[in-house]
Amino acid sequence: MSQSKQIRPPRIEGSEAIVKALENLDVDVIFGYPGGANLPIYDKLSGSKIKHILARHEQGAAHMADGYARVAKKPGVCMATSGPGATNLVTGLANAMLDSTPIVAITGQIARHLIGTDAFQEVDCINITMPVTKHNELIRHEKDLVPAIESAFYIANSGRKGPVLIDLPVDVLKASYPHEFQNEIRLPGYNPTIKGNVGQIKKALKALGRAERPIILIGGGVVLSKAVPEFLHFVRTTNIPVLRTMMGTGVIPVDDPLFAGMIGTHGNSRANKILTREADVIFTMGTRLGDRSFIKQPTFAKNSTVIHLDIDPAEIGKKIRADIPIVGDIKAVLTDMNQRIAKKPITKEKPWVSVSKRKSKLSTRDNAEILEGIFTKLSSIDMKLNISTDVGRHQMWANHFCTNPDHLPLLTSGGLGTMGFGMPAAIGAWFAEPDVPVVSISGDGSFMMNMQEFTVAVEHEIPLTVIIVNDYRLGMIRELQHSLYKNRYTVHDLGRTLDYKKLAEAMGGVGMCVTHENQILPAIQKSIDSRKPTLIDFNLENISKSSHLSWDTKAS
Amino acid sequence: MVEGLVHPSCSVFKTAMEKTEKEKRHIIAIEVEDIPGVLSRISTLFSRRGYNIDSLTVGNTHKPGVSRFTIVVRGDDTVLEQIRKQSQKLVHVLTTEYLKRDNAITREFAIVKLVYDKKTAIGINELVDLYGARMLSSTDEVLMVEFSGTEEKINLVFEDLKAFEVLESLRTGKIGMRVGR
Ligand SMILES: Cc1ncc(C[n+]2csc(CCOP(=O)(O)OP(=O)(O)O)c2C)c(N)n1
Repeated sequence: MSQSKQIRPPRIEGSEAIVKALENLDVDVIFGYPGGANLPIYDKLSGSKIKHILARHEQGAAHMADGYARVAKKPGVCMATSGPGATNLVTGLANAMLDSTPIVAITGQIARHLIGTDAFQEVDCINITMPVTKHNELIRHEKDLVPAIESAFYIANSGRKGPVLIDLPVDVLKASYPHEFQNEIRLPGYNPTIKGNVGQIKKALKALGRAERPIILIGGGVVLSKAVPEFLHFVRTTNIPVLRTMMGTGVIPVDDPLFAGMIGTHGNSRANKILTREADVIFTMGTRLGDRSFIKQPTFAKNSTVIHLDIDPAEIGKKIRADIPIVGDIKAVLTDMNQRIAKKPITKEKPWVSVSKRKSKLSTRDNAEILEGIFTKLSSIDMKLNISTDVGRHQMWANHFCTNPDHLPLLTSGGLGTMGFGMPAAIGAWFAEPDVPVVSISGDGSFMMNMQEFTVAVEHEIPLTVIIVNDYRLGMIRELQHSLYKNRYTVHDLGRTLDYKKLAEAMGGVGMCVTHENQILPAIQKSIDSRKPTLIDFNLENISKSSHLSWDTKAS
Repeated sequence: MVEGLVHPSCSVFKTAMEKTEKEKRHIIAIEVEDIPGVLSRISTLFSRRGYNIDSLTVGNTHKPGVSRFTIVVRGDDTVLEQIRKQSQKLVHVLTTEYLKRDNAITREFAIVKLVYDKKTAIGINELVDLYGARMLSSTDEVLMVEFSGTEEKINLVFEDLKAFEVLESLRTGKIGMRVGR
């Protein structure tokens, strides 16, 4: 350092500093889309070891980052330019916010001196995205660039995870400044609680120990906290049965004797009853108990003791009364609990609920058996797959009948219910685990929301199978019009003009059309074996004509 | 559809907005890092979650870079607890606390411009004495006065002012501080 007196300190451009910071943070892939305001970053990215995946729409890029994050279990990164680029990210950010997925979004912004003048491609990105991000920040000084990126990763991936957006004016990216001039990271107001309060943990174990009919309810938080082994150890040692929300998929196998079903509007009525009427102690963890998760809030568990474990203190007491609140990371708290029950067991002789493992019945209407058949056959494929879903009936059926533990957790849009999430999420997931083929389960309506992203799979030769559950309509809408609007069916018809096989081929991929029940499994198997991006059109109408409705339901 | 399904539209959820009957007023003090846009973060959070703000004041503190909000909101206790927790989650929020009648001092501040002539001078002088107000300026039979005190006191001031010709007036929202350490 002493001889540097004569030498001027090395200078760096803002955009280069960003790319270096991303490399130091171990980012291996960015999903994004260029524009005037973020081109300086692209210019520097070309010389970097970080891969850039050009999505075909910024929403696609955000969902790819989301799918990536869920599988890689670290933040996914997406990038967009100012104005329309930033607004196109909004749905993806909201999706990540409601499912607590860690993503870091980097947006270009117009130059500082133009901000507030309605300049070309100017939108108030910070205020637009404020309610759909865990945190966001406009960077006004070069020396804040690197600390802002570093804290964005830290905030996104700690505490209750979520999306963080950093808005970068193009002149900040182009400015050159002395390398070591950098503000330090200061987050005095951000201190997530990890360890649970010991007193509360003891109280909880005592209540569980005394309970006659204890139940554990799990949500996506168990997956996010990477606490599956600790969780399974806890339930198997204590013999306490388990319910899950939709987001709690893939934590406990469906054929586990302790698994008692999925709750919620799309869950099993038996599971709902166990939770709301039968259990005397409810231990709920990692679920915000959204309004679709359970039904009558004021009467919920009136006579039972509720232990509520969540990393986010604001979730406790938000929807339900908590008698024993525990704020902390599920993994940390269960590790602690496991040590305690090893010394002082609270084991029940046997699980008090015995849930019959008969097929849970969802409905018999509108090709229900075929839906069930498709997912049961998919589940019989004996290899690791990362599977995403879109939003609609197919999602609910997939949630019940995709039961192969090697295919779970399903990557699904729970909180926002974003049609168009599935395929980009599957593409993102593949970049996180390129050895594992990806499958995206879509309805025809959902698929069309982001179908342009199929070309990304073609470009990168991704082993992607898109299962299109093709009923020529918005099935879930029809179902709602059936049950709530006296069968007055409107606006659900998608027409019959789209030829998916030709569409896939036109985009450079493989297309298949399944019209007979005995083609279902071979088609999926062939697509997965080929490792080529493939669209399979499962034509429900034709399959139904061929169907004997006798499915070899291996699982569930 | 699904067995045993009750669609959420027929459920009995209450949002913060619907809970009017048990509404009480609460005061919450929030210390924040003094960073551009922090006011917008607080107000976005409050409006998005349906918390009704009666008043909001913000200003610097003796600590460099730290500002303090005093916010008066309506809602029941669960709403209040949600507000505090959701505010605490904002990255730039340092501390949050409730100010209650029995543990805090609160003040409001008002400036009033009145017609001050031969007819009204005596009455206004009495009012100024009674409420310990301060005269700020007086020109061409127009007087500007400053009042401060509890909300109740400022309410009385405005009652009494009805007897005079008020040209302009303003009240700040509440500011407040907990007593003791
Ligand atoms: C972006 C978006 N727009 C609208 C909706 C409302 N919506 C929920 S399910 C659904 C129908 C989905 O149809 P499809 O993808 O064909 O699936 P299916 O229900 O037929 O399985 C619609 C329109 C939504 N969830 N997301």
